[in-house]
Amino acid sequence: MATRFISKALVAIQANHWRMTLNIIVCYKLSPDAEDLRILPDRSLSFAEAEWRIGQYDLNAVEAGVSLAEATGGTVTALSVGPKELENSKARKAILSRGPHDLYQVVDDRLRDADTHTTAQVLAVAIRKLSANGYSFHLILCGEGSADLYAQQVGAQLGQLLGLPTLNAVAKIEPSGDHLIVERALEDEIEILEVPLPAALSVTTDINLPRIPGMRDILAAGKKPVTQWSLDDLGLSGGIRPGVEILDTRAPLQVNRKRQIWEGESEDMINKLVAELRKEGIP
Amino acid sequence: MDTQREIWVFADKIASSLELIAAGRSLGGKVVALTLGEPETAAPLFQHGADEVLCLGGPALVEDVTETILEQIQARNPVLLLVYADRRGKLIAGRIAAALGATVMTDVREIQAEERGFKVVHMLYGGGAVRSERSITPCAIATVATGTFQALPADASRHGVAMRLSPTEVRNPMKLIERRKKAVSMVNLSAARRVVGVGRGLAKLEDLALIEKLAQTLEAEIACTRPISEGLNWLPRERYLGVSGAVIKPDLYLAIGISGQIQHMYGVADAHCIVAVNKDKNAPIFQMADYGIVGDLYKVVPLLINAFQRIK
Amino acid sequence: MGEEKFDVIVVGAGPAGSTAALKLAQEGCSVALIERGETPGAKNLSGSVLYGRCLENLLPGFTAQAPIERYVTNHITTFLTADAWFGLDYKTSVFGAPPYNGYTVLRAKFDRWLADKAEEAGVMLVSGIRVDSLARTGERISGVVAGKDTLLADMVIAADGANSFLAQQAGLRGRIQPKHIALGVKSLVSLPRATIEDRFHLSSEEGTAYAWVGEVTKGVAGGGFLYTNLESLSVGVVMRLDDLKKSRQEAAQVADDFLHHPLIAPLVRGGELIEYGAHLVPEGGLEMMPQLGMPGMLVVGDAAGFTLNTALMVRGMDLAIGSGLAAAQAALKAIASRDFGDGMINTYTDLLEKSFVMKDMRTYARMPAFLETDRLYKQYPAFVTELMRRIFLTDGTPKEHVFVSAMQALKSSGMSLWTLAADCWKGLRAL
Repeated sequence: MATRFISKALVAIQANHWRMTLNIIVCYKLSPDAEDLRILPDRSLSFAEAEWRIGQYDLNAVEAGVSLAEATGGTVTALSVGPKELENSKARKAILSRGPHDLYQVVDDRLRDADTHTTAQVLAVAIRKLSANGYSFHLILCGEGSADLYAQQVGAQLGQLLGLPTLNAVAKIEPSGDHLIVERALEDEIEILEVPLPAALSVTTDINLPRIPGMRDILAAGKKPVTQWSLDDLGLSGGIRPGVEILDTRAPLQVNRKRQIWEGESEDMINKLVAELRKEGIP
Repeated sequence: MDTQREIWVFADKIASSLELIAAGRSLGGKVVALTLGEPETAAPLFQHGADEVLCLGGPALVEDVTETILEQIQARNPVLLLVYADRRGKLIAGRIAAALGATVMTDVREIQAEERGFKVVHMLYGGGAVRSERSITPCAIATVATGTFQALPADASRHGVAMRLSPTEVRNPMKLIERRKKAVSMVNLSAARRVVGVGRGLAKLEDLALIEKLAQTLEAEIACTRPISEGLNWLPRERYLGVSGAVIKPDLYLAIGISGQIQHMYGVADAHCIVAVNKDKNAPIFQMADYGIVGDLYKVVPLLINAFQRIK
Repeated sequence: MGEEKFDVIVVGAGPAGSTAALKLAQEGCSVALIERGETPGAKNLSGSVLYGRCLENLLPGFTAQAPIERYVTNHITTFLTADAWFGLDYKTSVFGAPPYNGYTVLRAKFDRWLADKAEEAGVMLVSGIRVDSLARTGERISGVVAGKDTLLADMVIAADGANSFLAQQAGLRGRIQPKHIALGVKSLVSLPRATIEDRFHLSSEEGTAYAWVGEVTKGVAGGGFLYTNLESLSVGVVMRLDDLKKSRQEAAQVADDFLHHPLIAPLVRGGELIEYGAHLVPEGGLEMMPQLGMPGMLVVGDAAGFTLNTALMVRGMDLAIGSGLAAAQAALKAIASRDFGDGMINTYTDLLEKSFVMKDMRTYARMPAFLETDRLYKQYPAFVTELMRRIFLTDGTPKEHVFVSAMQALKSSGMSLWTLAADCWKGLRAL
């Protein structure tokens, strides 16, 4: 009996069923809800009435981090950089109710409309500060892109800045011994890779279904530690030089469509439609 | 033309590189194409407009070329790097940009050379807004989606000698355990002149047969909204049109049971003619269509099939 | 499981709930405030003016920081027919200066602000969570259940609104009768501030509260309303459910027709519809009041049926706040004495009886019955406007004495002098 147990254990260790405790940093972005976007007469945009939310793709990253931490007995720290809206208690509860153990935020209105390189740089400095404070992390997780820009850049840039193995399009993460087995879903193929730790990964929506916080989760969120830093606290008093200059942001010009609409399901109507299409050369 | 000014392009497929080369040519300067593989495969790149070709070989992990590309850029200082906007491209562009202190201008729809830097246009808020911005770093980096630029016609007289680069050491090697080709439907939506799109108005998977019949009658390809592919898995991901899917410019886009949300319409905004069928007269799609029928698709589509068949 | 227990759980972060929670937290209690809307106010619609003096004690000087739209200085109550209206128009600048009287509010903003105040005072606000049921320990209520989570407390305050299912679950009331409840349908129409002030003859920050009875609701018991906000109008109809069902009309259609009425349309002209919603309103008065508590639980606000419709005014938010305060005070006493049973319930009802809440409910106890008089919605508007027409029409035919006009108008609307007298008597007694 004992020998069977021991040999099983040995097989497990050899097969790397042993998993290292993973301490994870999950990065997320708060941005105004695109549905609350108001278009002004000159086609410029107003987010004055907008609700600021955690990006939908970031929720997959948070869920992935929390699941991995739960599976390996590790911790999850949520991290975000941005303007004053981050201070909102609702925003903080929204992230902390999803499982992270604590929250760090770099808040500065100079980060409003920050470009992806700026965001990545500030995140990198914040993570280095966390490490300097004694926090040893194994994995950084990001969503595939932000809800507003969807540039799909910050994860890649952050990993590079920190000198970590970096991948995107991650659809599955399996802890294995002291590394990860990662599945990447590319356009026409799937790659399975062994990724050493620490690493920075950007995950896709395929990876999981984010949990919906319950009453207790939200109550617990109110008690979790939140640390707020300014750019000065990070030694970035001068701000960060952006890599691009924003020239203009506007609602798109509507292509003038004919908008010829018929109501009803009669053959007559269909024939009219087909007649118009034939005029256009279709079929 | 400033021949010292170099514009570099990179894609992991030759066909995509050709589009980027065309973009580079339109901006003036010397176009240098970085490509996977060996110099023997470089001929098409020259024929379609590259002035110089650098070959990166075929590492197991495509992204391992990042260090090599970066070293070359640091040595030769191109003013612009255009990268094909597939997932690999976004990762490679991002890593290079971080190393150079630049911001990647993503999914650009237009790009213009300016006195200093490059001005681009791209979409935000899921297609709800258009932004123009200008690069202010010595090397500008942009990703370009398929179909944004058309490859130049081949000029057989153009040729050159491609150089094989020796690979720079990878800083953080990762081991590729397995690569599995996905069963990708050989669909090329960008090439389709007519496309029939289907959305959540379709009640069940079996009803796709009706849509297929319509598409057949019109000799059209089938496409869909994101929930139909990523959510319900009724159609493969390659067939969904929109902000994070395919963007096409067909002659005819026939939208069946599609409400017309911005994220989807972004994928067909440049279609020549948009026709919508939806039973909700307030559906946003009727604001964005040339022709529309407000009615139950289950009644309208069979009528359409008959009507189109009759005129064949 | 989590051994966390609160002193009080308040369900519903509307005016009643947030007030109770705020008061309790101010006095050092641990309070959880559970709101099913994504944010407090998200699921609420204001159909009346907030007579907010009741908040002054709790939040001194609150009118300076609360998101208040306009101070109502003009009250108009009108009979409306298909083409005419006649009514009372009272305007006073006194209400436009501190301490003010009533204000128009937008609930999404106001409720959120009030809940924020509660949070600042230490209340644990949980939004986006629906309480599914009450937790019981023996005969008393000991907490709430939401999804897979149970949260325990010494007591629960049910502030869950017009169709309170917590009160039902606790057995404090049966199913609400359709005649005791009304459906309010409201449109929020945006207009530039200057246009509103011009159109309604208002100085900056002043507001108008309009109430119409008659053709508004096509004979269905109810009325129309319009309140001026800073840059929008809240306009709509309220209809008693039983009557609405009987008439076989669709609430949305009635609401739409109202906006297109020839005398109403000019008021909203040029405006852009930015929001549209519906909400239930208790209208039964004392008759529909549930039992106000049971061991471990108290009921406040709309959930307790604390609304008033006096035809001249409609009130709900101030009663909600008043009852929230009373419940908080009863809870404080209960926490100190550890008596969450009859002692607590009696304290609560006692405080209510001594306050404007029950006093006003009793003063206007006859109102709901009086408002069931069908004639109010059909014949009276016709009578009054016909009378006015006769008085003002001067077309060369010899004028008649007013008394004659009145009798003619009465006749044409199908009422007798006796009915008129009886109704006047009933109405005056109800007010």
